Amino acid sequence: MAGYAARRLLLALPTLLGISLLCFLILSVLPGDPIAARLEGGAPLSAEAEARLRAELRLDRPMMARYADWLAAAARGDLGRSLRDGRPVSAIVGDALPWTLLLNAAAVAALYAVALPLGLAQARRPRSPAARFAGAGLVAVSVVPPFVAALTLQAIVSVRLGWLPLEGTGRDAVASGFGPATLPASLLSVAAHLVLPALCLALAGWGFAARYARDAFVQALPGSAVAAARARGLRGAALLRHFAPALALPLVWLLGGLIPSLLAGSVVVEEAFSWPGIGRVMVQAVLGRDTPVAMALLLLSGTAVLAAQLLIDLIYPALDPRLRQRVPDRTSAAGAAGAPDRMHRAGGPA
Amino acid sequence: MNDPSARPAMRRLAAVALLAGAALLGGACRRAAAPAAPARFVFSMQTEPTTLNFVTATDAASMLVERLLSDFLVDHDRSLKIVPRLAESWDWSADHRTLTFHLRAGVRFHDGRPLTSDDVLFTYERLIDPKSKAVGRLDSFLPVESVTAPDARTVVVRYREPYAPALRTWEIPILPAHRYRGVDFETAPENRAPIGAGPYRFEAWDSGSRIVLRRNDDYWGERPAIDEFVFRFQPSLDTSLLSLLAGETDYTKITATAWGTRRQDPAFVSRYKVLTFTPLFFYYIAWRGDGSNPYFADPLVRRALGSALDREGYIRSVLQGLGSPVRDPLSLLLPGMPAVPATPPIPGKSGPAADAVAPAVPKADAGAPAGPSADAGPAGAAGASATLFDPDRAAQLLDEAGWRLDRRTGLRARGGRPFRFTLLVFAGGEDHVQFAQVAQDTLRRIGVEMRVEKLDWPALWSRLKSGQFEAALSGTSPSPDPDSLYGMLHSSQIGGGQNYAAYRDAEVDRWLEEGRRELDPARRDAVYRRIAARLDEAQPYTTLFSPSVVGVLNSHFEGAEPSPQGILGHVPGALAIRPASGGR
Repeated sequence: MAGYAARRLLLALPTLLGISLLCFLILSVLPGDPIAARLEGGAPLSAEAEARLRAELRLDRPMMARYADWLAAAARGDLGRSLRDGRPVSAIVGDALPWTLLLNAAAVAALYAVALPLGLAQARRPRSPAARFAGAGLVAVSVVPPFVAALTLQAIVSVRLGWLPLEGTGRDAVASGFGPATLPASLLSVAAHLVLPALCLALAGWGFAARYARDAFVQALPGSAVAAARARGLRGAALLRHFAPALALPLVWLLGGLIPSLLAGSVVVEEAFSWPGIGRVMVQAVLGRDTPVAMALLLLSGTAVLAAQLLIDLIYPALDPRLRQRVPDRTSAAGAAGAPDRMHRAGGPA
Repeated sequence: MNDPSARPAMRRLAAVALLAGAALLGGACRRAAAPAAPARFVFSMQTEPTTLNFVTATDAASMLVERLLSDFLVDHDRSLKIVPRLAESWDWSADHRTLTFHLRAGVRFHDGRPLTSDDVLFTYERLIDPKSKAVGRLDSFLPVESVTAPDARTVVVRYREPYAPALRTWEIPILPAHRYRGVDFETAPENRAPIGAGPYRFEAWDSGSRIVLRRNDDYWGERPAIDEFVFRFQPSLDTSLLSLLAGETDYTKITATAWGTRRQDPAFVSRYKVLTFTPLFFYYIAWRGDGSNPYFADPLVRRALGSALDREGYIRSVLQGLGSPVRDPLSLLLPGMPAVPATPPIPGKSGPAADAVAPAVPKADAGAPAGPSADAGPAGAAGASATLFDPDRAAQLLDEAGWRLDRRTGLRARGGRPFRFTLLVFAGGEDHVQFAQVAQDTLRRIGVEMRVEKLDWPALWSRLKSGQFEAALSGTSPSPDPDSLYGMLHSSQIGGGQNYAAYRDAEVDRWLEEGRRELDPARRDAVYRRIAARLDEAQPYTTLFSPSVVGVLNSHFEGAEPSPQGILGHVPGALAIRPASGGR
């Protein structure tokens, strides 16, 4: 198992290298350069001043030389500095990443918290009007554009009713010199600030996730298998434990698809809630041709995708004993793609 | 099978309870803190400063925060007139090549160290040092021969030749030399936690969220009435308006659309003070006139298209009256120049031009509380009764230029070539895109087909500089000195500088150089009027309009007065804001 993981990690390196080269190429062929970002608002700049700046930012070097510089520094763990303000890229990403992780983790929790129970209910009683109604409702909600959802929720829940904070992260309670700033109070404040943005992010996914969960449950727990288990006297918690691995498989599969999106910021939601996340950093980096920042973020999401695939391939055999024998063979990518098939077979523990 | 679903449900319930509790607690804290709370002012910004290094910061957000943290050598008041700040006074040598600043005594940085001429000298050196990567002010110091500090309170600037805009270029915030000397200028900790000598000291910067400043009790000048000044970063104007309505923000600007609906609401108008101002900024179209396209080398064509653009109609319908048409770039910068022509439109016309004769700049104070809404437009453009929009004249000029209407295609053509060109616009600017769309329509009516190509700013900028375009819509914020148009108009600025139209007129070049050297205000004014008259003929750029900004202030506060640079961008600016009598 350890050898398998190590091999996969080694394979990931050239993949990442390829991603980085491709991203660098794309960023380099975009017209315009980072000096423009320093001239927002149309401040005048003479040819002389521009030439000096270009040389100082090393933009006058050929692209492959700049890529080699970047790669050599990145290999040492140095992601460089922003071309916009000279800040270390690690600091810029480090400031935004925790907020994005927090928000997206909350959104995934909200997604599961609604989609799983509903999916289960629909799988159990497909004809129940309540379950059908709820499912249709979620699909309807998922087509609401996020900024409309955000504005509506903000106007009603925050401004009209005053139930939840309007925007921001709530860490103000931590830093403000005025008023007591205890850790629990700050945590509560941040938690309260999380609710609306997480909801807005989850909103779009509920309909899909609930349908996915319903199908997965139907396949994982055929009525006959449940009846057979009941006949053997399994009840309540014991019944649940019996089916847990089979139930877990589709959920892990779903989570695997969601992990990369945990790192991707949503620009719309971040803007609407003034959330200091990755999405806005990324947009600014691309619009400002801030290659070091954009490269760091692209690499981060590339790593996340690879890590998620690896994680799932490692977890699957742990949950499904029949797969343990097959792990060492080299069909890792195909293994992930074939997962839904396996779910069929994993269905009836007979 | 009921059990599994029960668990998530429980968890959900617990989560809801926890969050509800949190919200209640948050609310309770806010209320409890209210009575004895010190004055706290929350200012909403849409972008975050890139850095608080006073030298490298060139974006508008950084410069606003800087104004509170640092002291400037000289500064300007609401009418953009230069006033003393750190420099108590200054004088010119007889040959007008030496400018001597006399610094105020007893000024201290926030860390207690005195501010001396050494700090001014250090700041200047960093400004012109290429390693600083400061772009904003470098150009204005190119005429400087030397800067010296004969004693701790005197700074002497020597110019190569008389330089009329000199004084204004010394509106610079002063860095603490003892903090920055010998450290990496780009990564110095002070860039994120600055030490200044201004009326507010730095307290905290939460990346992506806010910057908190605290009143500097050791400030040499009048102390501000606000104890804590918070800049909140709210990228969405919709959110900042909601935040204002929720009482979490005390000042924000709002969109023209939002103002259009809110101005009718008496509750809104009574709770907030509306402060309208017109920034020193204008949109323009550069017609690439170097002959690289068959259309715009001819001044007649440029003038024709200029007359065919309905700026007034756009301001009226899209901007809700929040903007002023700009006749030419200099009309904003020369006092007393009319922004729109004084000559009445040709009589006996019909169609859309007839209703454009209505007041060109309907001011936005109809619903504003307590009198007129303090419009601080720099040009005083209001009250003009003529219009720049004249499609008949446009058609006439195009005929004269040989572009005749082809009845079959409905397009004008010359020598078999139809009048069909592409306008580049900045995709990120709402006004850029919308105005282009409206213009597309109006031009079509006089037989000109304009395609619109939307680009992001770096792409647009590189096309502008390399001259790979036929026409382009952009905007610029000139400094209040007319010399700031040198970059747009002087032929030496083609290719490298801001002369995107490739405008080349030896006489204008000479006048621009003369205006730069001329120190007598009346004579200098005459020089720029000559240039303005020439531009009217040649129209290498068609200047469009300056959009106005509607700022909204919570009526818990008073004293804020707008200038073309907002409510903070001048003296006294933030220092004038105080809790309204009667208190929060």
